[in-house]
Amino acid sequence: MRGDSGVGNLARGVRGGGGGALTRIGSLAVALGLAACAGGDEPIRIGVAGPFSQPRGVSMERSARLAAEEINARGGVRGRPLELVFADDSASDSVAVRVADEFGADPAVVAVIGHLNSGASLAAARRYGTARRPLAMITPSASSPALSGISPYVFRACPSDLAHGAELARVARERLAAQRAAVIFVNDDYGRGLRRSFVAEFTRLGGTVLEEDPILPRTGSLEPFLSRMRAAGGVDVLVLATHREGAELALRDRAALGLRWAVIGGDALSGVERLGSAAEGVRVSSAYLADQRGERNGAFVAAYARAYGGDAVPDHRGAATYDIVHLLADALEETGPDRRAVRDYLAGLGTRHPAFDGVTGAVAFDDQGEMPGRAVAMGIVRAGRLVSER
Amino acid sequence: MTVQGWLGSLRGRILIGLTVLVGGLVVVAWWGTATLRTMRHDVDRELQALRAAADAGNRLVIAVFDEIRAAEQYLVAPAAAARDRFQTAADEAFDQQARLAALPGLTEPEHLMAIRIKQLQAEIQADYALAHALRDLARDPDAAARAAAVGAPASALLGVVRQLASRQAEKAAVAADRLRSQAASRELLLWTVAGVVLLLGVGMARWTLQELATPLSALATLAERCGAGDLRPVATGPMPGEFRLLAHALRTMAERLRALVIEVTAEADRIAGAAGDLSAVSEQLAASGSEVATAVQDIAQGAESQRGELQSVGEGLGRLREAMGEMELAAGRVAELGEEIRGVADRHRGDVTAARGALLGVREVVQTASGHIAQLAQQSLAIDDFVDLVKRISSQTNLLALNAAIEAARAGEHGPGFAVVAEEVRQLADESARAAEDVARTTGAIRNQVEDVTDTMAAGHAKVRGIESVAEGAASGLAEIIGAVEHVEQAAGRVMWSAQSYRSITEDLGRRAEQVTGRAVAHASSAEAVTAAVEQQGASTQEMAAATSNLLQAAEKLRGLVRGFRV
Repeated sequence: MRGDSGVGNLARGVRGGGGGALTRIGSLAVALGLAACAGGDEPIRIGVAGPFSQPRGVSMERSARLAAEEINARGGVRGRPLELVFADDSASDSVAVRVADEFGADPAVVAVIGHLNSGASLAAARRYGTARRPLAMITPSASSPALSGISPYVFRACPSDLAHGAELARVARERLAAQRAAVIFVNDDYGRGLRRSFVAEFTRLGGTVLEEDPILPRTGSLEPFLSRMRAAGGVDVLVLATHREGAELALRDRAALGLRWAVIGGDALSGVERLGSAAEGVRVSSAYLADQRGERNGAFVAAYARAYGGDAVPDHRGAATYDIVHLLADALEETGPDRRAVRDYLAGLGTRHPAFDGVTGAVAFDDQGEMPGRAVAMGIVRAGRLVSER
Repeated sequence: MTVQGWLGSLRGRILIGLTVLVGGLVVVAWWGTATLRTMRHDVDRELQALRAAADAGNRLVIAVFDEIRAAEQYLVAPAAAARDRFQTAADEAFDQQARLAALPGLTEPEHLMAIRIKQLQAEIQADYALAHALRDLARDPDAAARAAAVGAPASALLGVVRQLASRQAEKAAVAADRLRSQAASRELLLWTVAGVVLLLGVGMARWTLQELATPLSALATLAERCGAGDLRPVATGPMPGEFRLLAHALRTMAERLRALVIEVTAEADRIAGAAGDLSAVSEQLAASGSEVATAVQDIAQGAESQRGELQSVGEGLGRLREAMGEMELAAGRVAELGEEIRGVADRHRGDVTAARGALLGVREVVQTASGHIAQLAQQSLAIDDFVDLVKRISSQTNLLALNAAIEAARAGEHGPGFAVVAEEVRQLADESARAAEDVARTTGAIRNQVEDVTDTMAAGHAKVRGIESVAEGAASGLAEIIGAVEHVEQAAGRVMWSAQSYRSITEDLGRRAEQVTGRAVAHASSAEAVTAAVEQQGASTQEMAAATSNLLQAAEKLRGLVRGFRV
């Protein structure tokens, strides 16, 4: 596929260069747009920022591309093709800052989808609002509560960790009847936010948090923490407020130590189901699960599978990204390619403008840039697949 | 009202000027206040940012130190309290880092520094947490090694914090410089605006004053010209609305005056012409009237003198008639008297002859009486001599008596009897003297009477002789009278006849003269009436002439007055 090669170029460029990512961003979408909408005018550009070089960024990139193809296939926006400009932030705070500044400086970019993780999003969030001409940033999956209301230009198309943490605490306390819990959290904004909201809710529900252990991506072994938990009498539930890598480490160490504690975590764990038996039974709170009901979701999942291979399943990041691309297309259709107008359109979603009906559900924003009332789904790893726990 | 309309009136100008001035001052004041407020705000903001940066940095460092101390304490002596403190301090350190990252105005490098700090914090916390776990599992060497590894990120963190703080300080210095230059430029701007406002105000005031003075002098000139009588229309040029009103009023006044003066001039000319005509007519009238009067007066005078003459003729005739009558009467009387005179004369001629005879007898008596009286006068003289003798004897006797009295006194006792005799003698002498006196006196009186009688006798004698001559003359006169009377009687008869004839003629003449006189009188009175009428006409004509002259004078005066105006 032409698209595939384009994305590959882009991803490689970002990976190879590290800094100055945008200078080597390929023009995949231009090619897509020109192909789909021959003779169209100057394309309308939307920035997409995320760790596309990492597995967690794949679904986001694919979904964005899928949505753009669909939009350009039906004639683009106002007769102009939609062009996505991908920038790899490698989930790094500092790279995210540079990406944000470069998007802000590029007048062709009217809005940014991203960033994927909380740390990068928090690092970049203020840069978009303080650019010479500010532009809106909509993250599909950064769930840190610190992002809430950080800037009028920041929106979040997923529940925050307050919702995840609370849901995890309820599931642990009620479904798993856990009394003692231990939290292993990645020591970044995401991990600290989820840990904090879980501990608060779990304690409120009468549970006891035995320990809260910070880890780093470079942390090689969690065995000391697990051994200490076991020495302290074990726990009823082990909460993994980490990314997929940290979770895999913890699950491996748990298996190595022969521990059978129930494990739950946030949707950053998505993909952990591919770990194998060690991940079986792990519960994951997620804003979106591919098997969730809905006609639009069915169509999206089918299209995704058609485009990227039979077993390709979109994660919550991909689904939210897919919704955001369509939402932005609507906004641009309505307001034209203007940063401020697009931002105002987004801020008026659910009030001045009707809520957007997407594959993840209704999308609307409150004055903090949050989606109020978006429920968190609970998934469970069964037979190597993350499915809804119904 | 439009702006132009406002600018056209002094009130508008003053209002606009005041508004501009006040507005400018308000702007200056507002600007100054706003500048001060902005500066204060900026300074506050910079100070606050600086303080917040310093504060967050300090707290962060303190929190990290707390965290490290608690962590180290736990490594030495594991205790829940130290572990909790470690946890709390770590959370606090992240909070401070969030505050640091949220500082406004961070540049990209500063932002990256804040991110770096967070990563270092995370490393420190994660390493210590692992070290604590190892320590709890009594794997002390591993724990010590893990703890020792914290040193590197900790010092790196301090370095970054210091770097950030110094950058903030630099930023503060830059901000201070910026504020200073901003303050200077704003001060300059403020002064410039104030100066411009001041210039604007002064210009406005000067303009207004100029606009006030120029039209005022123009109006004054206009009014002076009007006052001097120059009413020709004049352009005053552009001027403010109020003055335009005044100028319009002045022009209207001059225009009306001009029309009035033109009309008055025409009227005066007309009056003067009419008065001139009238004057000429009245002069002619007066001349002819005076001629008429003169002629009538001559006539009247003629009539008057005629009348006077006729009257005197009448009177003369009357007197003549009377004289004729009297003459006639006198002639009659003369005739009568002649008759009487002849009778009387005849009678007196006899009486006179008788008287002459009586007178001759009287003359003889008187002659005899005068002889007797002369004898008597001679006899009286003898008495006087006797009296003188008596007087001498009495005086001597008196003297003897006196001597006897003196001798008696010398004689003593025998003397008194003698004295008495002497006295007796003296008295006798006195009585003799007195008797002689009386005789003398009587004799004188008799002599005087004799003398008178003598004189009278002489006079009578003369008279008698005169009477005799008169009687002779009377007799001859009487005879002549009788002869004259006869002549007179004849003449009187002739006079009487003539007088009677003259009287009738005179009477006829008198009647005719009276008739002529009556006519003359009538003529004279008619002439007087005509004269009076002519005089009256003359007076009227004169009055008219005077009035006409007055009119002419008035018209001339009016022209003179109006001539002062230039129209």
